[in-house]
Amino acid sequence: MKTPSQAILLVEDDEVDAMTVRRALKELHVTNPLRQVENGEEALSFLRNPAEARPCIILLDLNMPVMGGIEFLQLVKKDAALRRIPVVVLTTSDEQQDKIASFDLGVAGYIRKPVDYRQFVEAVRSIDAYWTLSELPQ
Amino acid sequence: MKNLVRGLENKNPLWLLESAADAMLVTDRNGCIVFSNKSAEMLFGHEGGKLSGLAVETLIPPLFREKHLAKKNEAHSVPRAMRSGLQLYGLKKDGSEIAIDVSLSPLEDGYTLVTAHDIARRRRAEDGYTPGTVHDIAHRRRAEDALADQSARLAAIVETAVDAIITIDEKGIIDSFNPAAERIFGYKREEALGRNVSMLMPSPHREAHDDYIGHYLKSAERRIIGIGRETLGLRKDGTTFPIELSVSEMKVGDHRMFTGVVKDITLRKEAEESQARLIHELESANDELKNFAYVVSHDLKAPLRAIGSLADWISADQSERLDDEGREHLRLLIQRARRMDSLIDGILQYSRVGRVRETKVNVDLNEIVKESLSMLAPPPDIRVEVAPGLPIIHAEQTRMLQLFQNLLSNAIKYLDKPEGLIRIGFETHQDDWEFSVSDNGCGIEPKHFKRIFQLFQTLVPKDRVESTGVGLALVKKIVELYGGRIWIESEPAVGSTFFFTLPRSGKKEYHENTKPGNPAR
Repeated sequence: MKTPSQAILLVEDDEVDAMTVRRALKELHVTNPLRQVENGEEALSFLRNPAEARPCIILLDLNMPVMGGIEFLQLVKKDAALRRIPVVVLTTSDEQQDKIASFDLGVAGYIRKPVDYRQFVEAVRSIDAYWTLSELPQ
Repeated sequence: MKNLVRGLENKNPLWLLESAADAMLVTDRNGCIVFSNKSAEMLFGHEGGKLSGLAVETLIPPLFREKHLAKKNEAHSVPRAMRSGLQLYGLKKDGSEIAIDVSLSPLEDGYTLVTAHDIARRRRAEDGYTPGTVHDIAHRRRAEDALADQSARLAAIVETAVDAIITIDEKGIIDSFNPAAERIFGYKREEALGRNVSMLMPSPHREAHDDYIGHYLKSAERRIIGIGRETLGLRKDGTTFPIELSVSEMKVGDHRMFTGVVKDITLRKEAEESQARLIHELESANDELKNFAYVVSHDLKAPLRAIGSLADWISADQSERLDDEGREHLRLLIQRARRMDSLIDGILQYSRVGRVRETKVNVDLNEIVKESLSMLAPPPDIRVEVAPGLPIIHAEQTRMLQLFQNLLSNAIKYLDKPEGLIRIGFETHQDDWEFSVSDNGCGIEPKHFKRIFQLFQTLVPKDRVESTGVGLALVKKIVELYGGRIWIESEPAVGSTFFFTLPRSGKKEYHENTKPGNPAR
């Protein structure tokens, strides 16, 4: 990530998936703090909480209880203060309707969680590499 | 006026007979014709020649001649009264017979005035018949017989009809009520005749029916006559039931009558309802299946991924504590998790065909084959020959790609010869294109021809060739959704050819019940 001090917000309800991301980041020596919330609603309150620093990227699962990823995207992209935070969807879904909805809502990427852990690490490596290179508005 | 009368008095009285429109003859006491007018000559076909001098029997058909002679003799023994309205047959010069009305008026000195009318012509004039419909009395009798016969038949039809047939007059009063009507409505004929037909209808038609007729008689606006509709009938016992009603109008004398044909459609309605229910059940089952596929993709995959990851971590983190057998078991565990992952992907891919619709475009199959081959990247020892000029087909791009990609990938996967050859061919038929993908690979025994197209069926253990058994099932599903057929010809160790057809017209295109509002995909 470009700014190692900025947090990565992981919106994920599955504990092992969260562990996988955490482990992969650690393995790749990504030092950014990882903050995890379990659904879209928690993610919104985290982002709107002035006490919390703004994350540099949001890794978003789609299928979650309470508020799913698509609904979260609809709300966050309407919020002028939050809409520019890049959101990368990290999901199981291979459904076109999910891909279309996500890109219509301005996601920065859509990555299917590989079943194979090694491939998962490679996916996270690519995300990190890209967002180390890419500029972000302040 | 006086002049005219005087003029007439001066004329020979025969002049009157001469100019009469009716056929007139004068016979003497021997039955010899002494005078005939033009009409008579025409009637009997003696145009231009006088009948005078002939025996009157000349004008009577042979069958009746003797009788006539007998009667004539008898008639002369008693003073003769005027007789009229005798229906007889006349004989024309050409031998044909003609039905005539004959009046006889005795004149002085044994002379008789015979007046004859052509019955057929009179009938035609009376009834306004078109010329040629009735030529003589025999025809008329035949027609009358036929009419009686037809009436009997019509009556029989009405009596035995399955549908209720009810006629009403302009006031809605029931004039006829057939047995089917009795059965359907539960009224006896005598209970129904003379009553208003509205008794057979539930509200609001019951109250409004008189107005319906009134409105029609006034405006001639047809709402049901000649159109028919589905409505409700009311039985004697007060129950209602669905009917199909058709009404026609007829004129009897100066009255208008209406005939209603009522079909009891209770059974049909029930069948329709149960069909609708069945369709609904099928739809919801189909929806459930769609959901199932979607849920599978999310809810089964997450734990599977967890199993894969955890096994990976154990083998990485605990490698010192594991012996070779433990590491091998974990390797197999991870491999099986991966396989399950591909199986789930296969189910999803299979279920997406027909479930997920993509906009149909003109797909150039030459491009599709090229793209498939570049994605599959066959090894250099396999030669691929593609027939030139593959057609352009109106279809979903993704499905066409899947179709060729799976068949080609199959051909590549099972090639066991040092020099592989894959051929793509096609033939144009009247209604469809027939494509073929052939290889010189390991081939398939005929007993497996059916099995290979079934989902998850493979012929080689999965450990040796990584195959989910989805490819050919997917291919078959795509071909059949497009209204085509697929089959295989193969010889073990020699090679296989897969054939499939795709219709050339869009007529056989499949319909699917994708709900409106789903994003086009």
